[in-house]
Amino acid sequence: MRTPPKDAPTFPYPLAETVLDNGLRVVAVPMEAPGLAAHYVVVRTGSRNEVEHGLTGFAHFFEHMMFRGTPRHSPEAYNDVLKRLGADGNAFTTDDWTCYHVTAAAAALDTVMDLEADRFMNLAYGVEAFQKEARAVLGEYNKNYSIPINALLEKLADTAYVAHTYKHTTMGFLRDIETMPQQYDYSLKFFERWYRPDNAALVVAGDVDPDAVFALARLRWEAWRPGAAALSTPVEPAQTDERSAHVPWATPTLPLLALAFHAPAFDAEDIGGRALDVLAQAEFAPTGPTYNELVLEKQWVDWLWAGVEDHRDPTLFLLVARVKEAERVGDVREALERALARAGAERLPPSRIAAVASRLRYGFLGGLQTPDQAAMAVANALQLTGGTGAIDASYRTLARVGPDDVARAAAIFRPSNRTVVTLTP
Amino acid sequence: MRTILLPSKGAPLVSIRLQFETGAADDPAGREGLAALTGGLLVEGGAGGMSFREILDALYPMAAGIGVQVDREVSVIYGTVHRDHLDAYYDLVRRVVLEPRFDLADFERLREDQVNAITAGLRASDDEGLAKETLNALLHGGDPYGRPVEGTVRGITAATREDVIGFRGRRLTRDRALAGIAGDVTDRFVKRVESDIGSLPAGSPEPPRVPRSRRPEGVELTVVAKPCRAWAISIGHPIAVTRADDDFYPLFLANSYFGEHRTFNGVLMNAMRSKRGLNYGDYSYVENFVQDGGSTFPLPNTPRRAQAFTIWIRPVAPAHAHFAIRQAVRELSHLVEDGMTAEAFEETRAFLLHYSRLWAQTPARRLGFALDGVFYGRKGLIDELADRLPRLTLSDVNAAIRRHLRADALFVAVVADPEGAPDFLERFATNAASPITYDTETQPEVLDEDREIAVFPLHASRERSRIVSAASMFEGDGPDTSL
Repeated sequence: MRTPPKDAPTFPYPLAETVLDNGLRVVAVPMEAPGLAAHYVVVRTGSRNEVEHGLTGFAHFFEHMMFRGTPRHSPEAYNDVLKRLGADGNAFTTDDWTCYHVTAAAAALDTVMDLEADRFMNLAYGVEAFQKEARAVLGEYNKNYSIPINALLEKLADTAYVAHTYKHTTMGFLRDIETMPQQYDYSLKFFERWYRPDNAALVVAGDVDPDAVFALARLRWEAWRPGAAALSTPVEPAQTDERSAHVPWATPTLPLLALAFHAPAFDAEDIGGRALDVLAQAEFAPTGPTYNELVLEKQWVDWLWAGVEDHRDPTLFLLVARVKEAERVGDVREALERALARAGAERLPPSRIAAVASRLRYGFLGGLQTPDQAAMAVANALQLTGGTGAIDASYRTLARVGPDDVARAAAIFRPSNRTVVTLTP
Repeated sequence: MRTILLPSKGAPLVSIRLQFETGAADDPAGREGLAALTGGLLVEGGAGGMSFREILDALYPMAAGIGVQVDREVSVIYGTVHRDHLDAYYDLVRRVVLEPRFDLADFERLREDQVNAITAGLRASDDEGLAKETLNALLHGGDPYGRPVEGTVRGITAATREDVIGFRGRRLTRDRALAGIAGDVTDRFVKRVESDIGSLPAGSPEPPRVPRSRRPEGVELTVVAKPCRAWAISIGHPIAVTRADDDFYPLFLANSYFGEHRTFNGVLMNAMRSKRGLNYGDYSYVENFVQDGGSTFPLPNTPRRAQAFTIWIRPVAPAHAHFAIRQAVRELSHLVEDGMTAEAFEETRAFLLHYSRLWAQTPARRLGFALDGVFYGRKGLIDELADRLPRLTLSDVNAAIRRHLRADALFVAVVADPEGAPDFLERFATNAASPITYDTETQPEVLDEDREIAVFPLHASRERSRIVSAASMFEGDGPDTSL
């Protein structure tokens, strides 16, 4: 196997950047993609911003409202333009950000930009459309509801956090979703506060010339007025005792077990954060000793996931196992805790760390084949840090992780920092 | 065997897809689920002197995997790897295909997982999947086509390791094989793949069975009862066309207009979600459709000789279920009676000509579409659309709609909670009115139309309406086999 030099840049395409006068950062990613371009708008607002009582889930709901028209483009007219182009367009919301993406012919980039910029500046909808969309959101909650992992993660967030807005999922609490139709006025305020160029970024990836992208961006996006509100998310106090919760399930399903530990926010330079990534892979991913023991040898578990999802604020290291028999949940928990204790007491062989680094790196490169995938990787760095340097920086940091870093990072696995949630029929 | 090559000079990744023309439709009676179990165990049962764990260890630093996808009629072993690792990777693929070990511990693990996929997955925590598989069972009755690929609880439980070895020997033969390779590879590599696949046993290919379908009489309702908060609904009837037929392409266009998957183009989506907020989405299909991961694009390599027209209504509040079904069927009846307008036809054609190009952005997906083309004796779907759509006329489309779509003969599958199910069935079977009330503001013209929808005739009957329990579905001796 050939291994790349440790300081070689990881992102395989050029990244060209400019910042418009209104503060909007624009990144162009030219790449081999015959005739196609992906247009990604990053809004650095997600359910993390939902600090007000009774309004959880609003960032996601608002994402839906962004498709409800402007004076120039009714929702039907907006869709008709995309339809004529044969574009693929959609949006999604997470804890930290909201993403609006359109992929179409590169030759249609100006049309796409015009359409997208219009709704970010001139969104306008009536109460009727607002209320119907609120019920479509309830429908989205309903479709997710029969899936046990969603119920488990909802309970886990609610239990592991006491103050920070990560306490609720991006969908929000059901009680708040049910009252969404009454929040029309608040939705206008939400748009004013967060849909601003100084809280956003634009990525265009594909068969494009960066200078042409910048010129179009100036033409279409420069009129967007800055003025994002300041956000102060509640600080989560240090956890002092183990927390636990249980979710009863009405139909016969396989038990789920989640262990969560408070972990640091994303920082591309923080070796501790990357060390946790290495640990999660080395121990719990396929080929890791715990995976081998629980999934392949003892066959107590049919699905095992571990890791830290990158977040802007301090987050959770999460371990989730689906257990085949309810009587084994205790045994599985013991095995997972033994593995976590081992991570602090023993040292991973450097060869294992090298295999993990190779896996993460080739996995990342293999997932950058299309304009969508490349734009998404850049958009994610922008939402986390406001810039694009974090992509290569985080892989440089990863390459420096050694056995002692992993053992030090394992200090978060103390019982007083633990939340345990189970779901059983 | 045949080989499909999609060369791409300088591409960093190489994709391989080895397709065998066999799948769940070939499951022996009493061993329902055997094809899926064989496919799973092929890639997860050890091979060529290596345990599954050792294969995983070897694949791990390459960030590559050897995947398997088993459908009704074809099974595909597939993977993508960086060209830095191609030789080492292919050596593992070769072992899996030519020298599978079918280790007993892995056999037991995968058999249990497959039972759980039905008992704890489909029947307990995937209401939308359950409604779709119920509809599929209704469309195909007791035919192997009418079961999930995972089979039945009884069939999988009865399967032995010897059954798997026998199935592999009879079905995964060189005569049923089709190799696909995309990327920057040498002629020598291609020859090596061809020679390896050519060394599989010959096994005379049997003529493919034509799957049985049943046409509904009027509107036939099956309610699958299980605890749930909102009700998932699937509606459909068999159609006699596939990508092999000329009529498929005008029908494909009509369907895009009526219910394009996960877009706001469709008639259903706008009428049901945008105007009424009934649910998260409403779509329709003229062939089996599996969404590829988190994209909105079709997953290749699920070709079928028997297809259906289907409507997917995402979960609705129980009080709205009857109304939602009525509205979807009423919209369908408008399509069948009135056809498309010239303007809608032109818009939809332009959309599909561009949109379909987005379906094949990676070499792996391009390969998948090319293999499907071979199955149907056509070019890949995207190329067929590019050739045919410019030549289609509005009257072709409207004629195809009239020939193949029906709004008065439909199977309806509803996953509903046991408390609400009996009353729903009674009202549905007696064609009672289903007025809707909203807790949100509604346009007056929508309310006017609602009054018409509420009494739209569905032609349901008591004799053709019933409730079954989710726990009996796909058990192997329950109502599913007599549907």
